[in-house]
Amino acid sequence: MSKDLVIGMAGSGGDGIISAGESLIAAVALEGYHAIMTKSFGSQIRGGESSCRVRISTRPVLNPGGTLDAAVALNWDDFLKFGAELPVGGNTVVIYEAKSGVAPDKLPLVGVAPAEAIAVPIAELAKQTAGTDRAKNTVVLGLLAGWFGINGDAIVAGIRKRLAKKGVKVGDAAERSFKAGMTWAAEHPLAHELRLDPPEGQRGPKLLTDGNDMCAAAAIFAGCQFFGGYPITPSSEIMQFMSREIWKYGGALLQAEDEIAGVGAALGASFAGKKAMTATSGPGMSLKTEIIGLATIAELPLVIVNVQRGGPSTGMPTKSEQADLFQAAFSAHGDVVRPVLAPTTVADTFRITVDAFNIAERYQTPVIVLSDQEIAQRKETVDPIDTSKFRLEERRRPTAAEVEDYKRFRNTDSGISPVSHPGMPGGNYLGSGIEHNEHGDPTASGVMHARMNDKRFRKLEPLRHERNLFLVEGDPGAQLGLVSWGSSAGVCREVLVHAQAEGLRVKLLVPYLLYPVVEETYREFFASVRAGLVVEQSHQGQLYRILRMMIDVPACVQPFCRSGANPFRPREIVARLRELTLAMQRHGSNTRQPQE
Amino acid sequence: MSLRGIDFTALVLRDALDLAILVEEEAEERYREFSSQMDLHDTPDAAEFFRFMSRNEQKHGAELAARRRELFAGEPRVVTRAQLFDVEAPDYDATRAFMSPRAAMQVALRAEEKAYAFFVAALPHLRDAGVRALFEELRDEEVVHQDLVKIELGKIPPDPDVDPEDFTDEPLAQ
Amino acid sequence: MTTTTANTGHACAPGDYKSDLKPIWCPGCGDFGVLQCVYRALAAIGREAHEIAFVSGIGCSSRIPGYTTAYGFNSVHGRALPIAQGIKAANPDLLVLAAGGDGDGFSIGGGHLPHAVRRNMDITYIVMDNQIYGLTKGQLSPTSRHGRKTVTSPYGNLEEPVNPLMYVLAYGAPFVAQGTPADMPGLTAVIEEGIRYPGFAFVNVQSPCVTYGSEDQMIKAQKEILQPLSKMGHDAANRIAAMDLAQHYGKDLYTGVFYRNPVPPATYEALVRGLQASKQAGALPRERILDLFLQREPQDEEDGGSET
Repeated sequence: MSKDLVIGMAGSGGDGIISAGESLIAAVALEGYHAIMTKSFGSQIRGGESSCRVRISTRPVLNPGGTLDAAVALNWDDFLKFGAELPVGGNTVVIYEAKSGVAPDKLPLVGVAPAEAIAVPIAELAKQTAGTDRAKNTVVLGLLAGWFGINGDAIVAGIRKRLAKKGVKVGDAAERSFKAGMTWAAEHPLAHELRLDPPEGQRGPKLLTDGNDMCAAAAIFAGCQFFGGYPITPSSEIMQFMSREIWKYGGALLQAEDEIAGVGAALGASFAGKKAMTATSGPGMSLKTEIIGLATIAELPLVIVNVQRGGPSTGMPTKSEQADLFQAAFSAHGDVVRPVLAPTTVADTFRITVDAFNIAERYQTPVIVLSDQEIAQRKETVDPIDTSKFRLEERRRPTAAEVEDYKRFRNTDSGISPVSHPGMPGGNYLGSGIEHNEHGDPTASGVMHARMNDKRFRKLEPLRHERNLFLVEGDPGAQLGLVSWGSSAGVCREVLVHAQAEGLRVKLLVPYLLYPVVEETYREFFASVRAGLVVEQSHQGQLYRILRMMIDVPACVQPFCRSGANPFRPREIVARLRELTLAMQRHGSNTRQPQE
Repeated sequence: MSLRGIDFTALVLRDALDLAILVEEEAEERYREFSSQMDLHDTPDAAEFFRFMSRNEQKHGAELAARRRELFAGEPRVVTRAQLFDVEAPDYDATRAFMSPRAAMQVALRAEEKAYAFFVAALPHLRDAGVRALFEELRDEEVVHQDLVKIELGKIPPDPDVDPEDFTDEPLAQ
Repeated sequence: MTTTTANTGHACAPGDYKSDLKPIWCPGCGDFGVLQCVYRALAAIGREAHEIAFVSGIGCSSRIPGYTTAYGFNSVHGRALPIAQGIKAANPDLLVLAAGGDGDGFSIGGGHLPHAVRRNMDITYIVMDNQIYGLTKGQLSPTSRHGRKTVTSPYGNLEEPVNPLMYVLAYGAPFVAQGTPADMPGLTAVIEEGIRYPGFAFVNVQSPCVTYGSEDQMIKAQKEILQPLSKMGHDAANRIAAMDLAQHYGKDLYTGVFYRNPVPPATYEALVRGLQASKQAGALPRERILDLFLQREPQDEEDGGSET
């Protein structure tokens, strides 16, 4: 019996591998398990290699996991194309298509001997029961349900729902294939037990969704009334969700002619007084830079979601990376500063997106949300979120008194000036990208420019001391520290569990607010460490570099980074932590006492 | 310059007076705008002259307004600025940066000539005797104004042979 | 006749739309005339200044919003149209104007134009077309004549100019007009009519640059050659006839309405309103939007689960 299973499946696009994964995760979510599903595929729109990983656990899962417990290969050519994304190890049970003709002891897996290998006549079973070998994926689901002890009814119901439009006959055929798989599994039990423990705690409804949909739903909840955008992988789903839902809340959406028009329209909507957002990926961010700078000097709230993908330039549209931080923090000419937030899981994407809208409104600034492809496009079970616990903020509008002799950019103590919008009598003003005085009139005065720059930076000062946008976990007395953000943080949180099990003392700092840098939080964290790693998916280690810019990072804190599409696995980080611990012990452990 | 929607044959004195006031108002505003342009573009002599013209127009307008109040106190105005287009106000394209005072005066002169032509052209269409009298008066006023400007012109030396643009800076990219 | 606002009933005068900011345009600039016509057109329409949003890009003519009392947004080069559309989509009750020069509109902004036209929001776009880049000191513009010598074409422009009228007519705009400050009443009339037209209205204005323009482009010269379309027997309901006349751009100066669709097509915002009305009925309350992601028992399943 196991508390945690990672299943990887691969085949070609026509095999319905990803639908199988979706059915599986839907069923286990209903059962009350925690689960994450990621998918990966080749560049053909149809018929290329296709794979998914489903991690199922009785405890909350924070990342897609490491080596597979079960590997399903509908054909070996495609399976092997995924290389390290579907890692087979000594404990893996490999289930593969008998038609491939490969003997169980002669699998084309280099340097790996899996725990068990079974050839299953999947195509044959599909043909017999459904009349087509396209039903392979349903046979596979039957096999998995049989071997893992997952309730078949939920899976069948899910499959039927998906096929509902195609008629009852198709649903019936699918159910037959599914049952054939279950029967085959029952008749051929695995030598290696792969049954899942029953789910822990109350079997309650879980939410099941991906980061993009969660982001869009959070935006609607936060009061977003306008979305302007342009399709780009891997963010298009945000726009698609909005295009289904935003009208229901009296909002509007524009799929614009290009990235610039998309963010331009969103900025216009913000100027008109509405909460507005756009979503894109790296190449779109580069195009939107000028308008983001305009939003900064015009002091207008705007939420910009960047679902990071492999870069630079066109890069790798379907792969994840965390290399847009420099751009998020620094791009746009002139002295600009804007908040940059990053979620770490599908679950916290809700809260971070709501925070983004609140911060944008409060400080009248563009806010960048750095999601990444992995979080955005993986399905994850999420415990129900109590939306009543969230406070929503609106921009500070001028009172009747303040509208008398209204100065749009009044240099208040906080730096935040009440902002009017077209339609508000008396609040008429000129918004512009050109530097301006308090009234909004264009200026070229050095004195005024310095004052306005100061205002725009000063108004964000409270964010530099915002501790609530950080997570600190692990052993508070540890002298070994990890810093990580985005999807990598989910891996590091699991690392803490492994480390504790091994007796390694580690603590973790996860910034949700990446910029401006909250210096005191990092200083405090680093004050007590004798070794540390900043874990992130970029060649340059961008957060590490930014921290080096802003604070004194001790030499013992080093980047643990690499280019994207090479996700971190908990084990490799644990291994490194083990090395660092040993090194610390060798150099004497009594020089710095843990802070109580 | 033109008037829109005015039927001269049916024009009554009250409306004629109001129109005349608006004509002066339009001209006054235009000269004020011109003086502002000249100030912004480092052409103080022309600025001063346009301010002088603006004050003149304002004075004429005030005189007409006083008369209107006397005759038609309490009656609302029914004609609007929307019906006038640069009757006496000089055309926008008349000004130039660094224009000489002489050139500025010539702008005013042409505007007065334009206004004169307007009143002359309107006269044959007017049926109301009081309105006719008013327009004749205004026409004659224009002649007086033209003479005033010609006097000012006489006071200043002729324009130098050189063009100020020969000495000024090149236009600057913004 | 006095004009009144739809809401308050109080009269609007052109002066109500004049701000305190003094224009930095060169004396003699055609844009002064355009500005005056804008004031007049707005006064005739009678909307309060605070209900008007006036968006521009970058250029001399893009300074225009600041010289009005409307809510102005002098944004970045070429992007007035997307921003204006965002404003209109967010609040369709506003009167939205967009303005800019020929470079702003047909060069860097050129890609936005066809989409703004086909989206057909009720926005009036005024382009001050002076065939030069004035603000940046006299470079070629997309409407500069072939052979024109400028600081970036000292041996003469090698390219043929864009024909703004032809483009916008071909894109399918429901209202296309041209005016010039050489005929202020005519220009006021087309701006006013464009604003009143329920859909995307394009007004090209031959507003000469007094600093970099050639003599034949000046107001005086224009007055000699301009021909009002209304006196040419042109049927403004005929798009092909309009395009035939538009071919003369650059050679003859035709003013007035080139094309006016007698059956105004539905605007984007009207369609949005329809969509909002039809979808609002079944909406989950905002606080319960996450219910869309709930995994339910098969027998509890209702319509409205999210697509996998």
